[in-house]
Amino acid sequence: MTPPGNALFPDTVVLARNLSQRVPTADGMLDILSEVGLAVKAGETLAITGASGSGKSTLLGLLAGLDQPSSGTVELLGQRLDTLDEDARARLRAGRIGFVFQSFQLLPALTARENILLPLELAGRPDAHERASYWLDRVGLATRATHTPNQLSGGEQQRVAIARAFATDPEIVFADEPTGNLDADTGAHIIELLFGLNASAHTTLILVTHDDVLASRCQRRLHLVAGRVREEAIA
Amino acid sequence: MKIARLALWLLQRERTLKGMNASGEWRVLLLALIIGVGSVSTTGFLGDRLERAMSEQGAGFLGADLLVTSPRPIDAWPAATALTTSHALEFPSMLARGDAFQLVTLRAVEATYPLRGNVRIADRPFAADTVRPAQPPPGTIYVAPDLLPLLSAKVGDRVQIGEAHFTIAGIVTEEPGQLGGVFGLAPRVFMRADDVAKTRVLQPGSRVTYLYQFAGDAAQIAAFGAALKPRLDSTQRLIGSREGVETLHGAFANTDRYIQLTALISLLLSVVAIAIAAHRHALRHYDQAALLRCLGATTAQLRTLYAVQLLTLGLLGSLAGIVIGALMQQALASLVLPDTVARLPTLGFAPVGVAIASGLLALAGASLPALMRLIRVSPLRVLRRDLPPLPLGAWISTVVSGSALLLLIAWYADDVRLVGVFVGALAGLVLVLVLLARLALAAGRSIQKMSHGPLRFGLAQLLRHRFDSTLQLGAFTLALFLVALLALVRSDLIASWRQQLPPQAPNYFLVNIAPGQQQAVAAYLSQHRLKASALYPMVRGRLITKNGAPIASTLPPDARDNNSLRRELNLTWTATLPANNVVLAGHWHSSPSGDGDRRVAAPVKGTPAGAPARGTPPDTRPSGGPGAAPLLRSDPSAEISVESGMATRLHLAIGDQLGFQVGDQTLTARITSLRSVKWDSMQPNFFVIFAPGQLDHLPASFIASVYVPPAAVGALPGFVKAFPGITVLALDKLIANIEAVFDQIIGAIQLLLGFLLAAGMAVVVATLLASLDARQQEAVLLRTLGAQRAYLAKSLWSEFLALGLLAGLLASACAEIAMALIADRLFELPARLHPWLWLVLPLAGALLVGMSGWLTTRHITRVPPMQAIRALN
Repeated sequence: MTPPGNALFPDTVVLARNLSQRVPTADGMLDILSEVGLAVKAGETLAITGASGSGKSTLLGLLAGLDQPSSGTVELLGQRLDTLDEDARARLRAGRIGFVFQSFQLLPALTARENILLPLELAGRPDAHERASYWLDRVGLATRATHTPNQLSGGEQQRVAIARAFATDPEIVFADEPTGNLDADTGAHIIELLFGLNASAHTTLILVTHDDVLASRCQRRLHLVAGRVREEAIA
Repeated sequence: MKIARLALWLLQRERTLKGMNASGEWRVLLLALIIGVGSVSTTGFLGDRLERAMSEQGAGFLGADLLVTSPRPIDAWPAATALTTSHALEFPSMLARGDAFQLVTLRAVEATYPLRGNVRIADRPFAADTVRPAQPPPGTIYVAPDLLPLLSAKVGDRVQIGEAHFTIAGIVTEEPGQLGGVFGLAPRVFMRADDVAKTRVLQPGSRVTYLYQFAGDAAQIAAFGAALKPRLDSTQRLIGSREGVETLHGAFANTDRYIQLTALISLLLSVVAIAIAAHRHALRHYDQAALLRCLGATTAQLRTLYAVQLLTLGLLGSLAGIVIGALMQQALASLVLPDTVARLPTLGFAPVGVAIASGLLALAGASLPALMRLIRVSPLRVLRRDLPPLPLGAWISTVVSGSALLLLIAWYADDVRLVGVFVGALAGLVLVLVLLARLALAAGRSIQKMSHGPLRFGLAQLLRHRFDSTLQLGAFTLALFLVALLALVRSDLIASWRQQLPPQAPNYFLVNIAPGQQQAVAAYLSQHRLKASALYPMVRGRLITKNGAPIASTLPPDARDNNSLRRELNLTWTATLPANNVVLAGHWHSSPSGDGDRRVAAPVKGTPAGAPARGTPPDTRPSGGPGAAPLLRSDPSAEISVESGMATRLHLAIGDQLGFQVGDQTLTARITSLRSVKWDSMQPNFFVIFAPGQLDHLPASFIASVYVPPAAVGALPGFVKAFPGITVLALDKLIANIEAVFDQIIGAIQLLLGFLLAAGMAVVVATLLASLDARQQEAVLLRTLGAQRAYLAKSLWSEFLALGLLAGLLASACAEIAMALIADRLFELPARLHPWLWLVLPLAGALLVGMSGWLTTRHITRVPPMQAIRALN
């Protein structure tokens, strides 16, 4: 499935064409993704759903430039990723892309505030400290600033991770199963926070989930079955 | 700059981690680095101080711009009118005060001595010294401070040297060329050159070193040296001020080399610990690196980040190691150079750079492979737990760093070949230890099957982490083995050697007996019922040719530096094969010709013949004195017997014609037999024994050994008074001196073995840390299934105690084997077991490994399972 040309989508921030990913296994080559195409406009929210092993996380990694496809192309924020090397892709991500992960990926040595500070320092933001404090407050953890991850609950850790993702004012936030490690109530709170911040920051949100409730909050949904797009629904 | 700040920030924050997340690997890495740098900087600082002590003195160290030493006078010199000269003699003799006597080294000097540098003299021990002429006033001597307590003497006392009496006029506190410490066995005494004759100590055959000093313009000295060098033979030496420093430093370096190698083993063990710790660090930081990549960090930024962290740790560890090294070197100096330490210059900065370079190289070599993987980690790891393969660059960096480390070691040891042998031997030892460790672990499997409860679980852990266990066993066994070996050599070997000597083995040597004194000496000994060996005639000669060709040219390059070619040999002659000699090839001398046997060893009591051996007293010299024999004609049929070891070293065989230079005469003789010699018989032993008839016209002195029972020691002062020119050497004192030297060197090495043990423990801790996550998972599982903390604690203790016990047992076995080899090869002693070793080493191993293991892993028994699970997630 191939989306229309870029000229027809002037606000497109993510554009994938004929994306395939094949990996060698003991039994030969395995197709994880086949001929996937999609276009995401600025400010859109997109849920990529599917069963375990359907290729959701692989697709997210390819769209965010964390990996390279076996074939096909990805255009991210106007840049063809296949023309960039690993470091150029990293530079593209710096400050412009945010990530939220299922396992939070907070550095255990750093406090909640320092974890938010990390991407700001890496991007060389002069107002890094002020912004870290601001975003910690935005996710309701101002009083836990000096707590390390192992002193925080799962929900609190994910709120820190969300604050870290939005702290650099990214244009796109990629989220991989953001509620996957949380109970239903906590997950619901996280969903509210994620979408609330996304709305106020006018950020593009692309998330992977197998949670229908979460997927239903997105404007669009891409359902993968065995590496192929089965349907694309618009909420 | 921002990345550097971020790196330091992250490093600083790592320090605050506690419990399950604690970054113990940083601490181990730092500790191992401190141990490694501490060990090499200890020796580095001391070596530097010694070298500067010598270099800063320059010509003053040598006492001249050029020094020539010779075992006989040199009469013909190149023309050098502009040079100032000074002559001196150095020889051993007895110095007596009342009934007390002591072997001393006399230096008889002219008024111009030394040409460069100063001699400082004090009026009494510990009093302020002043620069004075080295030549004492007529009738007086200056003595080394350690002589006074040996004779219970003080400045102003009268003493006797040979047949002359002198007054002690002062104490020599500093002199050119003085290194002090372990190298001087006989205290030094300065006397006037013009006082030597009246002592009547020197006679034909006496052992004397002639010292010729020269000073002057550098160009003239160089020209003079160049003209002189071709005229000197292999027993004569020309030493410039720079060579003098190097020569004497080399003398220390021979001892120092073993100390250095001990330090280097510590460094290498530390590198192993660093490598393991760095590997674990990388494993624990893949997620961090992947996250940073996700957040936009480039490869260059990650490289900078981890390089800054590495450099910071390297500098911190190196600096801490340097501080420890600076403290330890003072202790080492006190052990090795007790008399000189106070006069050594203060610490220099040169070793600091070397120590830092060593630390950084060790750290880089050990940790770069792991860190290269870290900076190449894929950002996708945040989604999938893939690891990149080890990039080629990491292997290149390992090879480069490893080579740099080896070069550094070679530089330290100042001997590439020695380092090659050292690395080869170490690799061989490691292989043997790995093999032994594997065998021990295999044996442990049987024990594990028979055991129950925590012991079974603990042993299972040991067997399951086979690679780790092998590494831990190998490292700790090596450390324990070396500690035990040195302790045994120090405490056991020399004592055993002394015990096996026959109860009435000769314990004194009488050297420098003039031909006219033979009967009187024999009569004195007989009168006091002292049992003596024969009196052996002795002349000194240099081996110069083999079958008409210069001897050196007949030898492969590596055999040309043999000591037998660089000194004069003690030559004797006898018709009878000495008792402790066995002919291995050829036949013993045929019947003596003419009247050649008229002066053959004259038995006083016991059997004739034999010759001065290793450790036997200084010998005497033949010609050049009054009554020198006429030129000898070579007799191709003359027979000689050669000691088999010397024959092997010099590639000599039956039938070879050897040429000797005796004084200014040459003579040749044919090898007709090869002998084995029992060197520890305490009888005079000789490398070369002539058949009677060849040497007996030459002026010779005589030597004998004698057994003086404790009850008869009172006869010796009388002997020294009756024969003041004869040197009496107490073997007990010589052996005690050697033991003291041995003790000092081994004490110094043992000091460094502290580093080695610490490095071994660092390896144990590093490997334990590397398996900590797996252990934690197993502990969580066991706790969840109902295991109590005590059960876990017991299983951990079982594992570590078993590991320590095994290391101790292996080290005991290695030490016993090494001791048996040393006893057999070096001391010719039968091997014997040391039962206490098999108790002490396993207990020490169990204690050290048990404690370090428990302290490293104990928290996994204390963390609640839920908290542990969360931390692991």
